[in-house]
Parts: sequence; C-alpha cells; structure tokens
Amino acid sequence: MPSLTIDHKTISVADGTSLLEAARQAGFHVPSLCYLKKVQAIGSCRVCLMEVEGAKTLMASCVTPAFEGMKVHTNSARVRAARKTVVELILSDHEGDCQTCDRNGDCELQTVARDLGIREITYPGSKSIRRKDTSTPALVRNTAKCILCRRCVTVCGNTQGVAAIFPQKRGFQSVIGPAFTSDLSEVVCVQCGQCAAVCPVGAIGENDETAKVWAAIDDPKKTVLVQTAPAIRAALGECFGLPPGTLVTGKMVTALRLMGFDKVFDTNFTADLTIMEEGTELLTRLKKALVDKQPVPLPLFTSCSPGWIRYAEHFYPEILPNISTCKSPQQMFGAVAKTYYAEKIGKKPEDIFVVSVMPCTAKKYESQRPEMYASGVRDVDVVLTTRELGRMIRQGGIDFPNLPDGKMDSVLGASSGAADIFANTGGVMEAALRTVYEIVTGRQLPFDNLHVAPVAGLAGVKEAAVKIEGTVREWAFLEGVTVKIAVAHGLGNARHLIEKIKSGEQKNPRDTAAQYHFVEVMTCPGGCIGGGGQPRLTTDEVRMARIAAIYKEDEGKPIRKSHSNPEVTAIYEEYLKKPLGEKSHHLLHTRYTARERV
Amino acid sequence: MSRSRCNVLICTGGGCVASGALELSAAMRAAIQERGLDGEVQVFETGCLGPCAAGPVAVVHPDGILYQNLKPADAERIAEEHLLKGRVVKDLAYEKRPGSMEALGLREIPFFRKQVKIVLRNCGLIDPLKIEEYIARDGYMALAKVLTEMSPPQVIEEVKMSGLRGRGGAGFSTGIKWWLCREAHGTEKFTICNADEGDPGAFMDRSVLEGDPHSLIEAMTIAGYAIGSSQGYVYVRAEYPLAVERLTRAIEHARERGLLGKNIMGSTHSFDLEIRMGSGAFVCGEETALMTSIEGNRGEPRPRPPFPAFKGLWNKPSLLNNVETYAAIPSIILKGASWYASMGTAKSKGTKVFALAGAVKNTGLVEIPIGMQLGELVFDIGGGMREGKTFKAAQIGGPSGGCIPRHHLNVPVDYESLVELGAIMGSGGLIVMDEDTCMVDISRFFLEFVQDESCGKCTPCRVGTRRMLEILDRICEGRGQEGDIERLVDLGSTIKDTALCGLGQTAPNPVLSAIRHFREEFVEHIRDHKCRAGVCPELVRAPCQNACPAGVDVPGFVSLIGEKRFDEALALHRERNPLAAICSRVCFHPCESKCRRSTLDDPLSIRSLKRYMVEQEKEFNLPEMIKDGANAKRKVAVVGAGPAGLSCAYFLARLGYRPTIFEAASEPGGMLVQAIPAYRLPRDILRREIGMIEKLGVQIRTNKVLGRDFTLTSMKEMGYEAVFLAVGAPKGAGLGMQGEEAPGVTEAIDFLRQYNLTGKVPVGKNVLVVGGGNAAIDAARTALRLGAGSVTVAYRRTRAEMPAYREEVEEAEREGVKFQFLAAPVELEQEKGKLAAVKMRRMGLGDFDRSGRRKPVADPQGDFTMPADQLIAAVGQALKPNEIFDGVSLKLNDREFIAVNPVNGQASEEWVFAGGDAASGPSSVIESIAAGEKAAVGMHAFLAGMGEIPWRTSRMVDTFFDPDADPVMGTRPGLKLIPVSRRKGFAEVETAWSAGVALAETKRCLRCDYRE
Repeated sequence: MPSLTIDHKTISVADGTSLLEAARQAGFHVPSLCYLKKVQAIGSCRVCLMEVEGAKTLMASCVTPAFEGMKVHTNSARVRAARKTVVELILSDHEGDCQTCDRNGDCELQTVARDLGIREITYPGSKSIRRKDTSTPALVRNTAKCILCRRCVTVCGNTQGVAAIFPQKRGFQSVIGPAFTSDLSEVVCVQCGQCAAVCPVGAIGENDETAKVWAAIDDPKKTVLVQTAPAIRAALGECFGLPPGTLVTGKMVTALRLMGFDKVFDTNFTADLTIMEEGTELLTRLKKALVDKQPVPLPLFTSCSPGWIRYAEHFYPEILPNISTCKSPQQMFGAVAKTYYAEKIGKKPEDIFVVSVMPCTAKKYESQRPEMYASGVRDVDVVLTTRELGRMIRQGGIDFPNLPDGKMDSVLGASSGAADIFANTGGVMEAALRTVYEIVTGRQLPFDNLHVAPVAGLAGVKEAAVKIEGTVREWAFLEGVTVKIAVAHGLGNARHLIEKIKSGEQKNPRDTAAQYHFVEVMTCPGGCIGGGGQPRLTTDEVRMARIAAIYKEDEGKPIRKSHSNPEVTAIYEEYLKKPLGEKSHHLLHTRYTARERV
Repeated sequence: MSRSRCNVLICTGGGCVASGALELSAAMRAAIQERGLDGEVQVFETGCLGPCAAGPVAVVHPDGILYQNLKPADAERIAEEHLLKGRVVKDLAYEKRPGSMEALGLREIPFFRKQVKIVLRNCGLIDPLKIEEYIARDGYMALAKVLTEMSPPQVIEEVKMSGLRGRGGAGFSTGIKWWLCREAHGTEKFTICNADEGDPGAFMDRSVLEGDPHSLIEAMTIAGYAIGSSQGYVYVRAEYPLAVERLTRAIEHARERGLLGKNIMGSTHSFDLEIRMGSGAFVCGEETALMTSIEGNRGEPRPRPPFPAFKGLWNKPSLLNNVETYAAIPSIILKGASWYASMGTAKSKGTKVFALAGAVKNTGLVEIPIGMQLGELVFDIGGGMREGKTFKAAQIGGPSGGCIPRHHLNVPVDYESLVELGAIMGSGGLIVMDEDTCMVDISRFFLEFVQDESCGKCTPCRVGTRRMLEILDRICEGRGQEGDIERLVDLGSTIKDTALCGLGQTAPNPVLSAIRHFREEFVEHIRDHKCRAGVCPELVRAPCQNACPAGVDVPGFVSLIGEKRFDEALALHRERNPLAAICSRVCFHPCESKCRRSTLDDPLSIRSLKRYMVEQEKEFNLPEMIKDGANAKRKVAVVGAGPAGLSCAYFLARLGYRPTIFEAASEPGGMLVQAIPAYRLPRDILRREIGMIEKLGVQIRTNKVLGRDFTLTSMKEMGYEAVFLAVGAPKGAGLGMQGEEAPGVTEAIDFLRQYNLTGKVPVGKNVLVVGGGNAAIDAARTALRLGAGSVTVAYRRTRAEMPAYREEVEEAEREGVKFQFLAAPVELEQEKGKLAAVKMRRMGLGDFDRSGRRKPVADPQGDFTMPADQLIAAVGQALKPNEIFDGVSLKLNDREFIAVNPVNGQASEEWVFAGGDAASGPSSVIESIAAGEKAAVGMHAFLAGMGEIPWRTSRMVDTFFDPDADPVMGTRPGLKLIPVSRRKGFAEVETAWSAGVALAETKRCLRCDYRE
C-alpha cells in the first residue's frame, strides 16, 4: 500500500496502482486518450503526463506505478504546457471535421482539447496517410481521424484474439490497419466492431445505413417492420444522456412508431423461438449420443452471435459441426416476417421491409450472408446499430427522454423474460436451461429466481453443472445425467475455452462424456449489451449496469420462459408445426463455411 | 604457428573488404609464392586497423610499415621491394616524416601514437577466424580467472571499481547494472548484447565483431557468470553480414573447445549464445525495443519502469550492454580495475572508441583515453582539416547528439563535459565539419533520420519530430518564418520532456544544439535567405555567387566573357559591385573557395577572369538608374570615401538620390588609397573607378573630417535626412608595450597611409613587422620597395594560422621578406633614444582559442634578440568613436564598433546608418561594398519606403549552355605576375591574361546557376 503525494494530497493506493488511477482515486481529473482501464496501458499518447519529483522527464501516469513517498504534480506549468503541446500535435494530424463527424459531441479528443483550453494549433503541418476503408458491410475505418491510440489494436488482438489490425509502417507514416494496408474485407476481421466501441474518436464506426431506413419509411409501397434486439432497451437511453442501465423499452417503442415504422416488433420473439429450436437440437443430439449411441458433435455451441460464427469459420473450422444450426434471432425474425407474417397480412415478401436494431456491427454483415434469403428475398433489409437508431431519433426531432411508454405490436412482438437475457453473457444458456430443464423434468429450473448464477457476471469463462433428476418419461434416458455447460464472452476467452476443450482429457468432442455438453459463446465482452454497436464508451461499470437492467426486465415479465410465450406457441400451431420440423429447417436453420485463416 | 621473417597483415574489416582487401590478399599471396617467399613471409587477414578511408591497408611487420590505398597490382611491388629486398615502398606508405619522403613506422604515426587500444586491442592484429590467435593474446584468460578465482560478487565489484560506463550512449555504470541484474528475483536471466549499432557513421561494434569476436563471447560468458545467467543473445543487424558470419564461426569454435556450453572449463557455470538478427530499425537499439524485437514482435519500446534488469526479455531479468562495453571486460578482469580506472577523468574512466569522419585528413576508428581534448582528437589523431578548410564544428553522438563549435575545441571528451555543451558521448560517432557544412542543413539531416526511424508509437516523437522537420525544411528552402527558431526550441524541449523512449527524448538534440551554437546561421536562413555554407539548394543559386558578400552573378559574367560580351559582363558585375576593376586586383575571392569545380580539379580562377574583363572596358557604360525628382532633392550624406562609402553612394545614386560624400583625407578611396600599395592597386585604376561613381551625380568633398569640420548634429542641422557612416577603423591597436612611443616604432596603418598619401615615409634599415594580417604584408612589401635593408615579419603563431591572403604572403617571401614564426616582441631595446633591437620571445602552440586556432604560449626560455631600427606594428585596428560621435551617442557592439542592424545597416539612431570597417571591424573590400549596398537600400526604405530594388532580382543570362554536355576539361591557369627582378618600384605586380587563356578558362565553369 504505497502512500504518495499528488499535488499536496497524500493518499494510499493498492500495490501496482498506476499514477493515473491513483490520481483519479484521489479525485483528480486527468486527461488521457490511449489509456483504457483493464484493457490498455501503453503510454503512447502522452496526454496523461505528470511531473514526478526526481524524474528527468515527465512521466506518462498510466504506465508509471505509484511508489512509496512519490511526489507527483498533475497541474504544474510544465505539465499543463506539455499536455497542451501533445494534444496540439495530435490535432495537427487529425482531420478535424468535427461538425460533420459522427462523434461530434461524444469525442474523447474533442473533450480533452476543450478541457486543456486549446484554441489554436501551434505547429500545423502536413497530414499523414489518409485512407478510408469501406470494404466491409459493417465497419468504416478512416485513418484521417485516427490518433494511433491503439485501443482498437489491443481489443482486436488481446480481447478478441483476432489481430486483424496493427500498426503498419513507421514514424509519421504509421498507420493502424490490416497487414500490408489491405482492406478489412481481405483479412480475418470478424466485424464485431469492438474496435469501433473503444475508438476515442471517429476513426472507426459502423457503416451508417440510416438513410436507407428513412427512404423505406418514406416509400408508400413498403410495409416497414422494425425489430429491436433485447440489448437495445438497456442502452439506447445513453444516446440521450440517460445513465447506463436505464430501461427504455417503452420509450423506444413510442419513438419507433413516431418515426413512422408500420409495425414495431421484438427480436425477443424470435429469441424465444431460438430457444425452442436450439433446446430441441440439444436434446436431440443428447438423445442420439446417449440412446442411439451415434457419433454426434458435442458440445453444442450457441450460434446467435455472428462475430463468433465468422471467428469459428476462420479460426476453428473443425468445430463448425458443433455449432447449432439455428439462425440468430435476427435472421429468424426476418425469415418469419417475410413468410408467416407476410401471409398473415397478405403482402409479398418483396413489399415488406425489415429493419433490425442491433447492438452489433457484425449483424450488418450477417444479414448480407447468402444463406439469409429464406423468404426468397433478403430476410433482413437493413441493420441499424443502437447508435444509428439514436441518431435517427434525433433526426426525427423526437424528445426521447420525455416520451410515454408504448407497447410492441403483435404477432411478432410478445416476449418472455428468457428472451431478454439473450442480451448478456450467460443469458442464452440460462434461457435454454429454463426451457430444456422444464421439458425434461416437467419442473421449473431449480435455481433461485430462475437465474443460473454461476454463468452470470463478467468472468471470462464460466461453467456450471446441472444434474437432471426426476425426468418425464420421454426423456428418462437423461435421468441422473449431469449436464455440463460453459459460457465464454469475448473471443479471446472463447479461444481459451475451445483450446481447453480441444486439449481436454476427452479429445473427441463427439464423446458424450466430453467436458461440456453445451457452450454459449458471445463475441463481445459482457455479451450483446457490450456490443460493437452500443453507445460509447462501454466500460465494465457500464456493462454491469446494462446487465442489471436486463435482469430487471426479465424479472418484471409475467412470462419468463420461452416455451410459455403464447405467440411462439401460436406460430408452431399455425405455421411451423414443431421445432426442427421441415418448415423450421428451411426458415430457421442455416449452415456454415470453413474459411481461410488469413 | 611457425615463426616467419616477415608478416603481412592485411585489414579485412568491412571497409577494406569493400574496397578490395580480399583481392589484395590473394594477389599478395600469389606475389609471395612467385618469389618463393612463402616459407619466410606469412600473410594474415585481420580485423579493422582503423584508418578506414585509406583502405585497403596492410602492415608489414616487423618494420611496422603501414601501406594505404592498395590495389591488387601493388602487391607485386611490395613483395619485390619490401619483402624481398627490404626496401620500403615509400609512395604507398601511409604517412611520411614531415619534410621528407621517409615512411613513418606504425608507432610514430600520430594517428596511432596517441591512441590507447583496449577495446580494439586485437583488431588488426589477429585473424578473427582463428581462436588460437585470440588465445595467444591472453584470450579466455579472464574467463578462466573468473571461473577459478572469483565469486560473482567479486566480478561485479571489479567491474564497478573500474568505473566502466555503458558505451552505447547513456553511460550508465556497468557494474551497477550487473549488480541490479544479479539482485533481481528470478531463476532465469538473460545476458544480451546490443550489436544493433544504428548511429549513422558509427561502426566500432561492427569492427569488434568482425575483428575480435571472441572478446565479446568471453565477456558475455563472464557477465553471465556474474549475474547468474546461462543464456545470452547477441542482437545484431542483418546489414552486418560479415560480422554475423565471423561471430557465428567464433561461437562454433568456442563451443568446440568447451568455452561455451555446459560446465565451462569444468566449472559449474554453463552459458551459451545465440545470434538474433534485426532488420536494422534504429529504434531497436533502444533496450526495451530490442528485447521486444527478440521476442518476435514489432520493435517498439515499452515504458520503463519496469527496467530490463527486473523485467526484460520475456519479462525475465535481463542484462543488456553493447559490444564496446563488453569488449573492455576481459582486460579489466585481467589487468584489474585500478589499471582501467587510471585512464580517463574523475567520472569517466577508461577509453572510448570514436568513428572519426568528415572533413579531417585521417578518418576511421580511433580509441582514446576518455578526457582527451577534442582539439587533440581532431588535429593530432585526425590530422587536422583538409586543405585550406577551417574547423567549424564536431558533431558528436550521432542523431541523439549535438555539435561542438570551434571555441570549445579544448573540451575534454568525457560524458559530463559533452553533455554540458549540449552534445553526448553517444555511441561515438564523431563527424568533423568545416565551413562548407550548413548547420541548419546538418541538423535537418539528423532530424530527418530520427523522424524516419521513429517507431511511431508516441505522439511527441511521431508528430513532433515531423513538425520540427517541416519547420527546418521551410527554413532551408527560404520559407522560414519569424519565430521559427523559437518554435523549434519550444517544440524540441517539449519532445525531450515527453517522448516515451530514448530515441524520442534525444531526437531534438542535434537541432537544439545547432541553434545553441549557430543561431546566427538559422537567422540568416530565415531573415536574409542566405546559406553561408552554400549548401541549401533553394537559397543558393550558385555557390560562388552565394559566397560573394555582394552577391555578384559570377556564372553570369563569366559566361558573358566566354561569349566576348564584355560590356554586358561588366554591366552585370556592376549590378552588385561597382568596383570591378579594383576588386579584380585586390579581392580575396571567397567565390573561388566555394567553386564546385574544385571537386573535379581546381576552382575557376574567377578574379583573374574579372581582371581580363575589366581590361576590355573601353568607356563607362552607366548602370540602370531610377529617375526620381523627389529623391534627388532629399539630402543624404556618406561619411568616408572608402569602398563602403563609395558603394553606398553608387547605389543611392542609382535609386535617384544625389548623395554627398565627406572624406577626411585629401584623396578619396579610404583604405584602397591609404593602405593598399600601388603595386597591388595602381592609382589611376582607382581614380578612374571613383570617377565613374562621380559621374552618377555623387559629390565627393575631401579634407572634411567628422568631429573636426562637422558633426552628426551639425549635419542634422544642415538638413541631412539620412547619413551613412563609413569612417573605417583608422586607429592602430598598438602593441601595448613600454617604449612604444620611441622613434622607429610605428603603426602599419600610419606607415602605409603616410606613404600612400604623401609619397614618402621614413624607412629603417632593419625593419621588423609584427603581425600576420594583410596590413603586415603590405607594410613589409612597401618597406622593402622603399629601400629597407631587411624586412622580417614576426608572427606569434605559424604560417597556417596567418590571416593574410596566402598569395600575398607567397609573393612577399619571393620578394625577399623574411618570416619569423612563433615569435612575439617582449621588449624594445633603445640606443640613443632610438630603437635598436627587439627582444623576442619564442612561442609554442597550446590550447585552442575561440577562433579554433591553437593559442600561442610563451616560452620564456627561448628569448632572443633581433636587431631592428624600425618596428611596424600590425596587430589590429580600432574605431575612434569619441572623436567622431559628437552629441549623438550611437550604440557600439561588443567589439567596440558601431552596432547596426545586419539587414539594412541602420544604427541605433534611425537616421544614421553605418557599414564597412566602422561597423564590422577590419574587413575585406568586398564585404565593405556589400555593406554599402545594404545601407543604400536601408536608407531608401527609411526615406521613401521600400520600393523595388532593380538589381536585387536575379535574372538568367541568355548565354548558351548545354546541360547535357560533359564538363570541359582543362587546368586552372596560374596568375600572370611580373618577375621579382622587375618589382623594384610600385609597378603593378599582376598583369592580365591573354584572350586565349581567359576565354578557355571561362569554359571550365560548371554553370551551377543553370536551372531548367
């Protein structure tokens, strides 16, 4: 517990605390750009400089550990002048088109420049490499705005284990990007958008498709449906200054109606549908393995997260047979909207325009996959991120915080609480268990308040075991079986988990005695609530607040299990007949493609 | 090894290999075999010997004769003459005894004599590929001693006591570094050698690797033992293939003999080495970046702490030293810490290797005891500057270092002293620069290097160095802005204070140091768009024109002469310098010293061409004049009709004014008429050119003495709106000795003035002239012509330091003037109230003074007496401010001359301008002419506001030039002088060339002014 003096204030901090954290704990406001708590401390931007008595030069406080007896100045003339010069240098190579930048108003560089009182750039000069990469459906990278803080490099390489981008070239010509300055589409980028989520400026963002949505709304020939993913409702409020974790489900529905969508539906509906299909798939595989003694790929991996799917296709093609064939809830929605619902309202699929609002950039990519044309046309026409929706609400002149609550439309609008928790890590697993356990035993899942606590929270890899006892007759073969489950969020954690499974005692994943039976993987840290399309900046505190909101939403629902959703029951009765049936197979399931690693 | 009669050591360091050492070696072996000498003469291929620019070099032992610049064909001669017949091949020898053709032995050559070789002890002596030869030179003895007699703490203590500091640049105590690493927690530790050597020009590490690789292996094994490490890495750049090859072989040999590997020499210490090659990124010389690179990642530095001693390679405690540091270790262990610490200074012990490069005669690798004077290193070991050039600065420490100007030549080369002057020891790159180096350009060069080599991780280095470079770029291109110097200093200081690693923290050093010591050059680039070194292309139309203080379009008038368009040539000359005929005789032609032709053969003889040109003048063609009635009515005055005053009046007249010149003497011309003897400048020529100026409407009133006949105040009262003071520096500075007033003792300026104005002056029988400048030579030659029995010029330094023009000194000597160098008068001996003799004191040369010359130091033991009935003192001139400034107090500069704005000559009173010797102290005719022009433009701006100055826009001449043609060959013709036998009176010594010689000479011009 070193004790140190920061600007005449003496404090004690934990061993290994950086000066930056120490100062922030002591209540000092320290500007920084490259630093990202728990993610990156590399001392590259030099904005958080402090004067340490006895040190020859100023020290980057994010990487300087606090030592006993240190005397530190955060606000000396030397520090102020140096910080200012450093930020001016960054600005001198920055595009600076703030008025037309999508980060206008929530840009960290803007804030730092404002706080330091920068009014002119003392050392203007030439600009480094300018290059705009629009090669992927999900992301747009613009090096003209990049300040080389490297947060994106660290998240992509360390958190996600993808390493699609890194520093290229040297000196002033340094540029962040894929190897050999290729386009993102030419490398293993999974389009998760975690880079965009941590970018302090407007250098990486989603491919903005709001104009297409306005055009569709304005087109009288189109019936425009909107679906909103469960993670949106716990984060959209942040676009309007509401604190993280504010639930805005009702306001969101009202806003969407005001914007002019013909029907406001819920992706939760197809999340429940997913549980029906995926739960059945799990049970079918278990039965094949345990009763029929057939070789069957286990553990079963969830498939809702398109970044994870692309990651597996690139990095672990050998486990593709283990991944559930269920489409993601977004794509199931598109498929049933343009078939089941279209028939109901007597429209042709091509006259229906499906917009989905997702916390995710990879969803933009997913909706363009060639497999996603089950209705004969593209099932989901446009995917908006939470941030884009926030922008559209502003453009629509809607006073979001003061809106009254609205209700989702029927018949694709009903949702169980189980669907809500798809939004966070462990949620799909918990939702599946709520249904599967009840199908198998006829009893409710024996966890407090239906929450599978061991798989909740922000630990990277979580696991649990559920012993099945008192089965109904049809599932008697599962009597006494301990179902082992694991949950990973963040692709880096997923990789650890997969490597663990691959190197486990039971090397053959088809072996029923494998370590796990069912594994949930979500691409982004924290799950969809921490998605690459969510309002910035997503820290662990923000993640926890959003997760808490989601659980609150779940707990507030009268129906908390997918198989109890009446509209789900209805679609099976009226249209799909049964899970894994022929229609389901055509509309709700998909296939995967092994891809090259580079 | 069998003993042989004679050994031929052929340097096969990288430099010599590149210039053909391997071919030489083969030829040498063949030549020896051919003569049947292979039994008695052996050829060895060794590492680097040091004098790399002279390569390939070879030494023949036991005679110790060093041969240089050898071609394979020379092997025959050396074998036949030296090896067979025992006769030294003198013309191939590296250095001869001064004044003779006798070759100097290795131990006598100054380049080697002052060196102390510890790190390079084996380089050039042993075959690096033979471990036996290393062992024969006590190799691996230190390792044996360490393993058998010393505990690890004892080893560290020995290194600590030796005072050895990191030779990579930072100079951290090696012993403490080892100790920290030993103390660090961890079972696995690494011993790393930094052989990345990235400083441009530094190659001592490469030389050790190529010439003595076992010394590194031995040292690293010792270090491993001391810190408890069993694995070492040598990180060497892939650009050093020969070093990698030889080190690889050496590691194999050491392994074969159990000197690397498990249980070395039967001890418990196990150690092995691996080579890791880097791709040559400069930043990988930074320790954390180097380790990151060994780990297989992009070579980028990481923040410290944690320091590598605790968390280094793969986060394990790691010891990193550079090659040179390690290479000193075996000697320290064997000979002891106190032996090593006996060399050097209080805080910097031992020796340091420098890569001596640039404008010195001897370039190459040298190892010297730390603390040697910089001047000693440059002038004794380096052999001084190349022909005719003067020392300007030494750049030490490469891109992280700085420059040391000539007034600090006495600085001891040690860590602290260099830092104090804004340079660093660095890895030992030392580039000597002469006046042809532009300090702005050189600082831009180094900055461009680090800017390119920045890893791009931290903002200050990535963007900041770029911004500094951009500022320097614009300064060099003539687009510099007011405040740019301050911007460079501010930004540079911030980068130093904020960058992440050593590269960034030192990147601004070369710029900051250049500004610190050569600020004026930056100012000139920005304010005057002038690059005095003639380097920056955008500021230099042609180097000759750039070197001319008046900016005369030299290539223009030369090419016009070549086309026989003499009137146009002369008119072009007089655009910038009216006194063409005068300058064709007396100008010291700085243009010629910058002539680019000299890189091909000899500089163009520009002054002689000018002489030929003025001879062709039939009648004056008046220059372009501005007719301006208003200007003509304004009262402007010039005080002093010397070159500055005449020039100012000429240019004022061209701007439409009708200036009046007030001249104190009876005749106009100033020093031209009063000091310069007629045999150099015939008086009719002088009068004719002054007459031309009068024709432009300039009125000259002689015998009007400022302070006596009129004052600045009275001029103001008379209605003069602006005045140019060009009163010269008419007062001799005096010897400051007792008896100076005695008859027979006079000032050179008075002596010359009296003769030149009155036609007679008393001349002694034995005349002693004291001084080394032009006035001394003029007085001596005048005295000789007036019948002096003997004339001796006594100068306290040597001929090389004389400020007088070399041609004049040579002619004086030819005419019979005697010279007494390294002597100064100390006492005047009188007889009957008259001077009879002068007691002289012998002088030696000591430390360096502010001018970069060695100071004369008196040797009281060497006094001698010279009979002299006349002593002419020529030791400087001064202004007489009190006599001339009446009622108006003008600010003086630090040399007690009138302080003026260098751009326009304006003095501290806004209506008063000054120039020539009165403002700059004794200066040349051409500098005075330039000062007159500046002041004329300045006065015009003051009176009328700045208008267009027609002569200041440069225009291309329409002469023919074929840029694709090869340069016309031909040699520089000599001056045409009348023979000494005919130089009795004051007839002009030099005559003009014939047309044939002159026209041929014009063709040698390379037309540097040509731009497509």
